[in-house]
Amino acid sequence: MYLRPSMVEEALAALAEGGPTTILAGGTDYYPARVGRPLTEDILDITAIAALRGIGERDGALRIGAAVRWTEIAEAALPPSLRCLQLAAREIGGRQIQNAGTLAGNLCNASPAADGVPCLLALDAEVELASARGTRRLPVAEFVRGNRRTARRPDELMTAIIVPRCAEAARSTFLKLGARRYLVISIVMVAALIEAAPDGAIAAARIAVGACSAAAQRLPLLEAVLRGRRLASGIGCLVAAEHLGELAPIDDVRGTAAYRREAARRLVARALDELAAEAAA
Amino acid sequence: MTRLLEPRAIGMPLERLDGHAKVTGTAPYAFEHALRDPLYLYPLEAAIARGRMTAIDTAEAEALAGVVAVMTPRNAPRLAADDDQELWLLQSEGIHFRGQLVGAVIAQTPEIARHAAALVRIAYEAEPHDAALAADRDDLYKPEQVNPDYAADTDEGDVEAALAAADVAIDATYTTPMEHNNPMEPHTTVAIWEGGVLTLYDSTQGAHSVRTTLAPVFGLAPDKIRIIAPYVGGGFGSKGTAHAHDVLAGLAAQMVPGRPVKFALTRQQMFWLAGYRTPTIQRIRLGAGRDGRLTAIVHEVIEQTARFKEFAEQTATSTRIMYASPNRRTSHRLAKLDVPVPSWMRAPGETPGMFAGEVAMDELAVACGLDPIALRIRNDPAADPQSGKPWSGRKLVECLREGARRFGWDRRAPNPAARREDGWLVGMGVASSTYPAYALPGSRATIRYGEDQRYVVRIGAADIGTGTWTALTQIAADALGCPIEAVRLEIGDSALPHASVEGGSSGINCWGSAIVAAARAFRGQHGAAPVPGAEIGAEMPEDPEAQRFAMHSFGAQFAEVRVNADTGEIRVPRMLGVFSAGRIINPRTARSQFIGGMTMGLSMALHEESVLDPRFGHVVNHDLASYHIAAHADIGDIDAVWLDEVDPHSNPMGSRGIGEIGIVGAAAAIANAAWHATGIRIRDLPITPDKLLA
Amino acid sequence: MEARITLQVDGERRALTLDTRTTLLDALRDHLGVMSPKKGCDHGQCGACTVLLDGRRATTCLSFAVAHDGAAITTAQGLAANGALHPVQRAFIAHDGLQCGYCTPGQICSAVGMIEEARAGHPSHVTKDLTGPVALTDDEIRERMSGNLCRCGAYVNILAAIREAAS
Repeated sequence: MYLRPSMVEEALAALAEGGPTTILAGGTDYYPARVGRPLTEDILDITAIAALRGIGERDGALRIGAAVRWTEIAEAALPPSLRCLQLAAREIGGRQIQNAGTLAGNLCNASPAADGVPCLLALDAEVELASARGTRRLPVAEFVRGNRRTARRPDELMTAIIVPRCAEAARSTFLKLGARRYLVISIVMVAALIEAAPDGAIAAARIAVGACSAAAQRLPLLEAVLRGRRLASGIGCLVAAEHLGELAPIDDVRGTAAYRREAARRLVARALDELAAEAAA
Repeated sequence: MTRLLEPRAIGMPLERLDGHAKVTGTAPYAFEHALRDPLYLYPLEAAIARGRMTAIDTAEAEALAGVVAVMTPRNAPRLAADDDQELWLLQSEGIHFRGQLVGAVIAQTPEIARHAAALVRIAYEAEPHDAALAADRDDLYKPEQVNPDYAADTDEGDVEAALAAADVAIDATYTTPMEHNNPMEPHTTVAIWEGGVLTLYDSTQGAHSVRTTLAPVFGLAPDKIRIIAPYVGGGFGSKGTAHAHDVLAGLAAQMVPGRPVKFALTRQQMFWLAGYRTPTIQRIRLGAGRDGRLTAIVHEVIEQTARFKEFAEQTATSTRIMYASPNRRTSHRLAKLDVPVPSWMRAPGETPGMFAGEVAMDELAVACGLDPIALRIRNDPAADPQSGKPWSGRKLVECLREGARRFGWDRRAPNPAARREDGWLVGMGVASSTYPAYALPGSRATIRYGEDQRYVVRIGAADIGTGTWTALTQIAADALGCPIEAVRLEIGDSALPHASVEGGSSGINCWGSAIVAAARAFRGQHGAAPVPGAEIGAEMPEDPEAQRFAMHSFGAQFAEVRVNADTGEIRVPRMLGVFSAGRIINPRTARSQFIGGMTMGLSMALHEESVLDPRFGHVVNHDLASYHIAAHADIGDIDAVWLDEVDPHSNPMGSRGIGEIGIVGAAAAIANAAWHATGIRIRDLPITPDKLLA
Repeated sequence: MEARITLQVDGERRALTLDTRTTLLDALRDHLGVMSPKKGCDHGQCGACTVLLDGRRATTCLSFAVAHDGAAITTAQGLAANGALHPVQRAFIAHDGLQCGYCTPGQICSAVGMIEEARAGHPSHVTKDLTGPVALTDDEIRERMSGNLCRCGAYVNILAAIREAAS
């Protein structure tokens, strides 16, 4: 079965029937996950649903439709606090992948190395899940439960990602480390958002690291250390190994756990230094 | 002296004659020939590494609409010769490696074939398998010879005594991982069995070599097999020999006479069905005087082969000819494992061997306090240390000096970790390069003068991206003394006169020699003004000088490396290769070949590693997202130049072959530059950031 | 399950009935005989199957054909309208930005799409100034072309070709 509805309600009805089980948007994770397996499952293609498209404001928050592709995010005029997400969008796979893949799909696929997750954690974003039974919202941190595990119920469709409005002064960045310059599955990635007062005092810091645990993690210990400090040159030196306690990197083809932990520390420091340099400029 | 061609077309930077077809995507590769009513094959593959199949249930697959046949050892046509176990397919229930082809579904569409293949149930009786290469295995053995026909071991003088007496000694172990060729075009065979003739549209480096290999396997006379391969999407050795997929397609075609059966490997399947470069463990010991003059060279190699078929990579053979020393020893030892059989990958032997050898030379230079170029020049042998024969042209020293001048070697600080720019450590490295000039026998060409007043030059040669279409046309024009436009070349078909394989960087040398011989015979017989229809054929003549000279190409590889002090990320902004390879037939396409080899060398240095999980005997990172090859953003300014020269002894063109030398030494130059940047000596490829995080 | 769709391929309207599991790439190659887009990995990891899909670069192996009913597709073959090569194609030949040729049609479609993206001011990962027009520096070209792998190692010459064609 291949279903390609144009209305959300049709899609939800199909899901409620226990019908199509695989929801498809950009398809960039679909094929690689089916190596050596037949394509026998039913498909619900959501790319024709107009209501899932577009980036807009609603109730003071930014709403990114579930069918919005990386390229659209990269090219949209967004507030500077969302720069981390826009940087991530420009670094995901090649341009061809960015033209097809969606942020929502990245979340639902829930790879430990999903580029969108640390950004959305740093942005305190939520996801909107709809079903025939109704609609609910969930913080991203609760939605992504682990390696390839999410809180989406079988009859639910992710309809949007909601990013709350940040203070105007908030700035963010995203850094990714891979073995190759391009098309890589990351060894480590960091999203950092800092909100600083005019005198440089840090009012809020939200730092998240991806690819170093089953799901991307915030670094609350570091965030607490940063609050009240001045966002200035040398701030990266504050990042210490004990701040990365939440992380549980593994050895794999792309790097050892020890290297990941050390690289994460240095990459977080670099992200903070970049934000400080930007603030000074 | 060999009678050399008067160069007019050769030496000219002619644009690729197949360029138009390739930039529009209309050049037909194996899968793409217009054939009526094709069927599609999806293979069945073994899910264990060793043992046998005890039951195969095909009922569900056969019941699927659109399935034409399910082929298994129970119903597959019989093969005739089992000399090559890699090609002895579906004749028994035995399993030699995980992923082995054990059957096939033939269906009306590729989707149905893939679906049906998943419905076939196979039960196995697994035996314990062994897929882990290690230096301390007690079952390592000495092969009778190493590829293609070198002695496994050499031993001259007394290396142990020389090492004990040496002022300076190096003793280090280097490793290179399993690597996969990964040409962009997956290995493809389209097979048609009609009227007792098997036709294969094949992605191969040698139409005739595939025919020669497959004829006895199928029990067919060679003239009952035809291989067609006008365009081939890369190979780098993996398409140099027939592999199991050729046989599977041929068997399937026999089950559906008259219908083309299309079989393209998936990228994943290429990680176990199309050959690979063996991992190597190489111990090198060097002894030298304080002046850096070598007194002992020992190169001991451990590598793997498959239990069911031997391939012994000639990893230490380049060490036998590189540098002078009175005491020298090389050896190869193999582990027989339950893994797919290794095969040729661009410069088999030289590529891993020269990584180890040239990093060891860098270490010796450091130990002696010598510039690495000076050390190499000091040990440059006047004659081939192995055979004692004079060189047909060894210009390594000239390459090193020219490269040093162009690359700005004089700006290199003598000590490592001396240059830091904006958080990046910067270093320069050098390595030598070498590759033998092979002349494979048996190529033949015919020349016919047509009604259109053009010369049709026919030879079953291959163009796998190497520029054969263009270079052979240039050679034919000069051999005939006619303009390029007056030559019409036909290649890529076993129905054409016999050609040796595109391998060992020998193609242009052998095929060109055959064409020159045919052209000279043609002019001798038919004169300068032939009548239409005039035709003659000739074989590549034996080169009597080949026995008198040691014929090898040489080169010098230079690299600049930047290592991020924070993360260990490594970049190569600059590489330069200077080569001595005899006459260059086409500077435009030759430069691409050299640069392409160097690019693959960079890829090897920084990225490439197939991770074999010994628990299952298969490659974990079996796709292009996880088996990294260099992408555009990894490649900086890479340039290649060559000495202006002619090898008067090699062949009528004066050429020595250029397809492989570009990769040789490239990884060593990068590793040596990484040492110079950081002071960290990397002896295990690839050079990943974690190894450089100080 | 079968579906009936139409595609506009290189300016020609093509109707076809196909298995809903058929990728856009297989629809072009197996059903329509349009062999210019190549199958290199079938998983969006190499870029050989790149075409311009409604004007944008797309890896055709990564999408089902039925999801693109009515779409306009330009392949490298279609870029050479009436036999006259596109300037990018001419530059690839002049700079020898190809060897085996298998990745080449994808590289060329990608380059043509990329030049348009830069003209439209779309930033890439390496774009420093996000406000002004995008200058196609060597680093920009390398970055933007990195979704197309080339195993022959023609990157240096591909860069030269695109640099010339884009100027």
